[in-house]
Formats: sequence, C-alpha cells, structure tokens
Amino acid sequence: MFFHILKPIWKRKFKNLLLSLEILLAFCVVFGLALMSARYYQLYHLPTGFAYQDVWSVRMLSSGEFDKKNDPNVTENFQRSLSALPEVEQVGFINYSPYSNSTWRSDLFLPDNKSGFKVNLTDMADETPGLLGMKLLEGRWFSSEDEGRTEKAIVINKKLADSMFPGKSAVGQLVTDTEPGSKETKFLRITGVFEDFRNKGEFMAPTSFVIMRFSRAARDERMEVAMIKVKPGTSRAFEEKLNQQLKLIRSDWGYRISPLAEMRKSKMTEDTIPLMVIAVIAVFLLIMVGFGLFGVLWQNTTQRIPEIGLRRAIGASSRHIYQQIVTEQLLLSSIAMLAGMVLLIQLPLTGVLGDAINWTVFITATVISMALIYAISTLCSLYPAWRASRLSPTEALHYE
Amino acid sequence: MLKNYFQIACKVYLRRKLFTAINLLCIVLTMVVLLVVTAMLQATFFPTGVEGKSERFLQIGTVTQVSKNNTRRSPLGYKIIDQYLRKMKTVEKVAAVTGPESVSVYQKDSVNEIMMRRADAEYWQILDFKILSGRVPTAEDVRLGRFVAVVNESTAKKIFDSTAVVSQKVVGQKINAGGQQFEIIGVVEDVIHMNAFADIWVPVTTFPSSQYREQYSGNFNAMLMGKSAADLPLIRDELLQVVKQINADEPTHWEHTYMWADSKLDFFARGILNRDEVPDSGAVQLLAGVVFFMLLFMLLPALNLVNLNSGRIMERAAEIGVRKAFGASNRELVKQFVMENILLCLFGALVGLIFTKLTLVWLSNADLIPYLKVDLSFAVFAYGFVIAVVFGVLSGVIPAWKMSRLDPVLALKGAA
Repeated sequence: MFFHILKPIWKRKFKNLLLSLEILLAFCVVFGLALMSARYYQLYHLPTGFAYQDVWSVRMLSSGEFDKKNDPNVTENFQRSLSALPEVEQVGFINYSPYSNSTWRSDLFLPDNKSGFKVNLTDMADETPGLLGMKLLEGRWFSSEDEGRTEKAIVINKKLADSMFPGKSAVGQLVTDTEPGSKETKFLRITGVFEDFRNKGEFMAPTSFVIMRFSRAARDERMEVAMIKVKPGTSRAFEEKLNQQLKLIRSDWGYRISPLAEMRKSKMTEDTIPLMVIAVIAVFLLIMVGFGLFGVLWQNTTQRIPEIGLRRAIGASSRHIYQQIVTEQLLLSSIAMLAGMVLLIQLPLTGVLGDAINWTVFITATVISMALIYAISTLCSLYPAWRASRLSPTEALHYE
Repeated sequence: MLKNYFQIACKVYLRRKLFTAINLLCIVLTMVVLLVVTAMLQATFFPTGVEGKSERFLQIGTVTQVSKNNTRRSPLGYKIIDQYLRKMKTVEKVAAVTGPESVSVYQKDSVNEIMMRRADAEYWQILDFKILSGRVPTAEDVRLGRFVAVVNESTAKKIFDSTAVVSQKVVGQKINAGGQQFEIIGVVEDVIHMNAFADIWVPVTTFPSSQYREQYSGNFNAMLMGKSAADLPLIRDELLQVVKQINADEPTHWEHTYMWADSKLDFFARGILNRDEVPDSGAVQLLAGVVFFMLLFMLLPALNLVNLNSGRIMERAAEIGVRKAFGASNRELVKQFVMENILLCLFGALVGLIFTKLTLVWLSNADLIPYLKVDLSFAVFAYGFVIAVVFGVLSGVIPAWKMSRLDPVLALKGAA
C-alpha cells in the first residue's frame, strides 16, 4: 500500500531530503519544549514535603566575623520575644530559607565504606520541621532529648534512606559526613526518616536530603533565618511591628522579612522564565515551518499537475488524489520524525541528563510533539491537495 | 549589470506574490528575533546614557582568594577600595557601591520591597544619572554620614502617591528604609544598567555599624575611571601590583588573591565562564558562543527558504535556459541567484527593523523587565545588515547551485 506512495517520494529524494531535514529540526525544537514542559508538570505534582502557607521567613544579616557564631543568649532572646507576639504561633530556626537560591551540598558516608552519597543539607532547630508541617514516615524528629549527645542527630528523607539502607530501617543508624578513616570522624545518628523536603519549591528535582539538628545552646554556626508561623490571615502590615521587635534585640543587624508565599511566587517566575523563552522561540519557528511547508507543498502539487491529470484520466477519483497528497506528506513527516527519534531515544537510554528524562516524561513528550508535527503537516497539505483534486483531467493533461 | 540583476529580481519576486510574501514573512520573523537579541546585547555591553562613560572606566566585581583546598569568592570589602584602589596613580576616580539589596519601606500602613545601594560620592560623578528634581549626594554628605537618600521615579510614585508632578513634592520627605530614616534629596530617572540599577541610593557611611571599613570581602563593587580610554591598560597593570600588596596584608593569609578590572563585555564573560583566576576574561569565547547560537537559530528558517526557493526553479526555467544558451557560466548564475536572495533578505531586514523597533517599544513599556529602555542604535543597523547577508548566503547557495545545473535543452522547453 505504502510502497507505491514511497516511489514518488524517492523520485524527488533531494528535495524531500531537505524537506525532511526541516521537519526533523522542527520536531527536535518542539520535542525539547514538550520534554521540558512534561518534566515541569511532573515535578509540580510531586509533594514538596512542607507547607508554605502562613509561614514568614526572617533573614537576620549580621556583619563581622564575630557574629558568624551562634550566641545562645541572643538566639534564646529571639525565640522568646518573637513567640510572645500575639500574631505569632511558632518560631523555628533554619540556616537558609526555603525558596531561596542557596544550596548546601555535602557527602554522607557509611562508617565502613569509602564511597559517599551526594546529599543536600540544611540545619534546623527542633521546632522547625513541625512548623513547616513536614511529614515523618518512621522514627522521630530530633528534639531536646538529643541535646548533649556525642553524635549529632539528623533526619534523612525517604530517597536517601532507600539508597543508603536498602531493605532495612535507617532509624538509629550511624553515618558520617567526613571520609571514614580520617582522624576526626564525627558520627551522626539518624533519628527519623521524613517524606521529602524540596526546599527550592515545586520545580526542584527530588534529591537526597539531610536535615541536621541545630542546638540553640551550642556555639556552632549561627542560623541566619528564623521561620515564623503566623496566625492565618495576618497581613503584611505586621511586618513593621515585627521589624521593630527584631531591632530591639539586635539593632545593628539588618532584617529581611518576607512571607514564604511571596518567595514562592517569585521563585516560580524565575524557574519558568527559561521555559517561556524557549516557548516563544519554538512558536516563532513553528509558524515559519508551517508557512514553509505550505509553500513547498503548493509548489509540489503545481509541478505534478500533469501527473495528477493522468491519474484522473485513467479513473482516479478526486478523493484518491486528495488521499495521495496528504498521505505522502504524512509519510514524509513520519520518516523525518523516525530519524529524529533515533537520535532522541539516546537521551533516556544513555541517561545523559539523569533523572530529568525518565520514560514517562520522554513518552509524553514524544506523543505531544509527534501530534503537533502531524497536525501542522496535515493542515499545510489540505489546501494544496484540495486544489489538486479539483482539477479537471483535460486541463491537467494540457498543463505546461 | 547589478542594475539588471536588480530589475530581474524585482520582476521575479512580483510574479508570484504569495510565495514572495511567505518568503518575506520567514525572513522578517527571523530578523526580528535576532535583532531584538542584538539590541539587548548592545545595550548591555556598550551602554549609553547613565553608564555612557563605560569606555573610560573598568569595574571590579569579585575578589577571589585561593589556598590549597579552599576558595573564597565574594564581592569586594570596603577596605580594599578605600585603602588600596583609591591610592592608585593611574586612576582619576574610584567609586564604591554595594550591590542592590532588597529593603522594606514602611510608609503609613503599606510595605514595599525596593532595591537599595549604598554608594560614595564619586559614584555620582562617574555615572551620569538624569536628575529629575533635587540633587545627588555630595562628598560632604558622604563624609559626614548624613542620612540622605536619592530615589528613582518609579519608587517615588509607588511610595508617595502617583501624581504626575510627584517629583516636586518628594524632595524633603522622610523615608524609612530597612529600619533607618532617610531624607530624600533627589529623584533620578529609572535605569536598569549594571552599576546603576537600584530604587534607592544612600551614602555608604550610613551603615548601622562601621565594621564595613575593615573588611576585605563584603558587598562592594568598584569602578575605576581613567582620564581616557587609553589609560585602561595602565590601570590593569597597576592593579596587578595592588593585588599583590593586598594579598600580603590580608590577615587570613591566602596563597593567591585575584582581582580583575574589566570592561562590560569582559565582566559578563568572566562571570558566565567562571574565569576568576586567569587574566583573560574569555570575551572572545562568549562572543563566539553568541554568534554560534545565532547561526543555529538561523538554520531552520534558512532550510525553509532553501525549500521554498528550490520550488521556484520552475518559474525561472525558461530564463535560465536562455542565459545558458547564450553562454552564461554556472558560476555567474549562482552569483546572480545568491545576490537576488541577499537582496530579498535585505528588504526583509528593513521590514524587520521596523518590527524590531515596535517590539523594543513594547518591551520598554511592558513591565517584563523593570526599567528596561532599549532602542535601535546605529550599531544594531550595522549588525542587521551583516545578519541579513549571512542569512541570504546561508539560504541562497543550495537552490542557486541546483538552478544553475539545469540542462539548457530541457530548460528552454520549460520542463524542470
């Protein structure tokens, strides 16, 4: 069936080669866009693992080396006086705010193994996980009962627990963040496993995540951010009052107060900018490809008028002619896209981009981009085909 | 000869108006996208207006300190600028300004987030802000640490009510930014440029504590202005000596310290390509990358034109046959067709420029990028011409070569 349609395609191979090359390029552009959109959609629907509603973040900016260390009195003072405000439900410390652009990475080792696991880290005070509404799967959150122990308490997310301790419980296990065998190995005790903490927001790829316990009494690194859970319905007007309260404690520090909801909004805008830019460019290119295809097909049919006349003369109906032109175009698009798929299938097979391209996303993107290219091809071939099918055989045979 | 070609081209292009229109549309679309990008890059790398003296000054954004297994990279501390850079012999003026940081402004019962910079007096002399009312801080203001502030027009409107004669009333008002009280002494025009972008500027001496004076790393950018563009290499040379001195004096003792004084283009290239430890900023690579991406973007529209033009051989068959019968060589024909194609592209570029202008006006008015003001410049015209020619050659060669290979006997009969 297709064989006799392939024949005229083969006869014009050079022209068709250029045409398929164009379709292939367009397919790749659309595929890139579809892939990105599908991945974003997939990520957006994964749980972030925490609730941003009614939580405000306060960055406390100090200057000078001395203030880099935690001062128990000052921290305790912040905790107490902020909790005393009527609008505030809970206060907890964290070293950098969710939805901010900071990242902190490290390696985690099993005590008897030199190969590390890449993880993202954050420090939190005992109150913070509860304040952020995070979900615990097994074990317990760290708390004041971990105060003064030799091993620092940590909690890890499910993804990391599954990869570090496959088939057994991670709770109670010891790990270390320095390479085993070095002199000053400090052990960390896992007290619990939580669902996830995608602190960069909805479009962050799931990572292995570790939360370390920060003790307000210790002289470690100072926590730069206070998370404040406010009563529902608190307006931004509370900000000034909060700022005055903070200035009472340390007047020489600067404070950045912003509700997490606002930070989330701006982070989302920032994350979707690349997608928007690519979308605009892709639309431009597709409009161009559409016009180009239309022009080329028009010319092709014009050139083949004598051939069509001959087909009509020996009894082909106008529907046949119609079908022939559209089928030829679809076949050509299919060939181009198959070639494209041969190239693109390498992405998930080789795992170049890791988790970003999984089969679900890949297949979704394939379906979307194929449908789009087919739609454009069909639309562009309809009018020329219609013109060709309406020719009267006598005129067509005489056409010069 | 050229006149003949031109006439033939016009005739041919008017013969099939629909296809010519499709051709043109593709060219115009491509041109608009490329020209908008070019205009933006031009405004970024070679600014006019507030940073119009850019060819006379260099900027330093980061200090990189390296020891065996540690690297610290941060904006400059005020001490480096005040104690070292100001003492350089080759510079005329040195300005220190912090990067923009968001502060909250409490006015009546509303809260606004705006971007604040703290700057010294030289900052206002190196950059040419357009002052709408009032004045900008003087050396005395900075020396005495007066709590004065300059705001831009949008901020003045946002914070104090949005009437047209706003700037007259704003000067003299008090503003509470980031928990400090300032008196507004001037209103300037909105700008987006790299060193000028901010909503409010206050003297550097208004920091809550004077610790900043002792810091080698902090939140400062430095601008070093020479008497003329010819001084810049001398400034770069002297800076190398200064950096050695800083490395020796720095109390934490790093093995190496790196600081580079860069022009705009170099500054961006260094930032994008992470070249903190080598003198060469990689500007050439950056530009090559930009050109490569532009060519890549042109590939699809070019293929499109190739396909369209290949289809138009039919119309020209008789003409080609006659030309060949009278002894025109293939090379001559190729030359002619490529020329025609370039001509069409140039026309498309001209139309594209008009649309680019419209797009830029729209971009400047839409609040996609705050304070963006981009306009066509002579340089963009020149780039447009170059892009059109490249695009014309890219999309004209293959169809021209195919046309020239037509068999004259068949061509004369009109069967392609």
